[in-house]
Amino acid sequence: MKGSVIFSILLGLILFSSPVIQEPCSNVSMLYGTAYAEQDWKTEFDDICGRTQDAMAYSPEELRKLVERCDKIKPLIEKLGETERKVYLRRLEMCRELFVFTLESKEKK
Amino acid sequence: MNRLLFGVILVIVSAAMVSAQGGVKKKRPLPDEFGRVIINNNSEKAGLAPVVFNHWLHRSKFTCRLCHVDVGFAMKAGTTGIKAADNARGFYCGSCHNGKKSADNVQMFEACSKTAVPADKTRCMRCHSLGKNVTPKYDFAEFTAGLPKGRFGNGIDWEKAEETGVIKPVDYLEGVSIKRKAITAQKDFALSPKLEGMPEIIFSHKKHTLWNGCELCHPEIFVGVKKGTTKYSMVEIFDGKYCGVCHVSVAFPLTDCQRCHTKQVQ
Repeated sequence: MKGSVIFSILLGLILFSSPVIQEPCSNVSMLYGTAYAEQDWKTEFDDICGRTQDAMAYSPEELRKLVERCDKIKPLIEKLGETERKVYLRRLEMCRELFVFTLESKEKK
Repeated sequence: MNRLLFGVILVIVSAAMVSAQGGVKKKRPLPDEFGRVIINNNSEKAGLAPVVFNHWLHRSKFTCRLCHVDVGFAMKAGTTGIKAADNARGFYCGSCHNGKKSADNVQMFEACSKTAVPADKTRCMRCHSLGKNVTPKYDFAEFTAGLPKGRFGNGIDWEKAEETGVIKPVDYLEGVSIKRKAITAQKDFALSPKLEGMPEIIFSHKKHTLWNGCELCHPEIFVGVKKGTTKYSMVEIFDGKYCGVCHVSVAFPLTDCQRCHTKQVQ
């Protein structure tokens, strides 16, 4: 029993360190990573900019958080293709500006 | 002698008045021309006629917000920088005009296809029509015959048309818009005109948010939330700023004074 556990661990370590296994593995993870990131910016964008209707209802803290989230996805959008980048940067800017504007007006009160 | 002097003074005064107006009197556009935008960022460079875009047709079917926020068209004509490739990739005009989407059960033609051939010339000329003898698919008089009449602009009371359900402007475009809940409109408010005796302006947030949402006007056009933060005059508005961004070119024009100055003088 003990021997088979040690054997399994050793086999796992050998396979993990093998370049044959490691190369495709890292590519796969990179691909998944990219796919996830692409998916991620759109989901995040929809979630942030889908809240502009309620901008006045948010607290200053919530608005600050939304502005931060806008700033966070901007570099991801900047990496997109020419047209997509142009369209979504403008859309992002419009919702970011609205949140900043609402935040400033609330803080002035 | 007196007559001569009077004549000279009259000529000088007239010349001064004309030069004060820049020497050119603006022609009031015809109802079907009101809100027309000519787009020529790249058309002529590509050997095509500039695009003639009619707001009246599009605004009868879609909200301003849908095109100017979700689709991404800038508010100032010519500043979006639309390219044929953008449309072919399914953005801007191509968001709807992709040969697949339909409005009122009519399939929309494809704009700027990647595979366009000379035989597609008729289709190209549906938009690239400035100076061309093109019969539009939608005739203005026929199209607007059943809509409530307005005094200026397109001669249509678009607000009433929407209120009475004659038109139902769509605010959501599959694959482009974000699903969101209905907007909570901010309160209406009164604005005091600078000119004594002018009726107060009653600004309706409800009417405006229905077409525009929030981010179309704030902060790009109106920088202040609190009443009185944004100071502006009729001169600036006539110059196409503030209310004039829309109410000079597309929405009912500024000559329709009573549409805004509605509150009776006390």
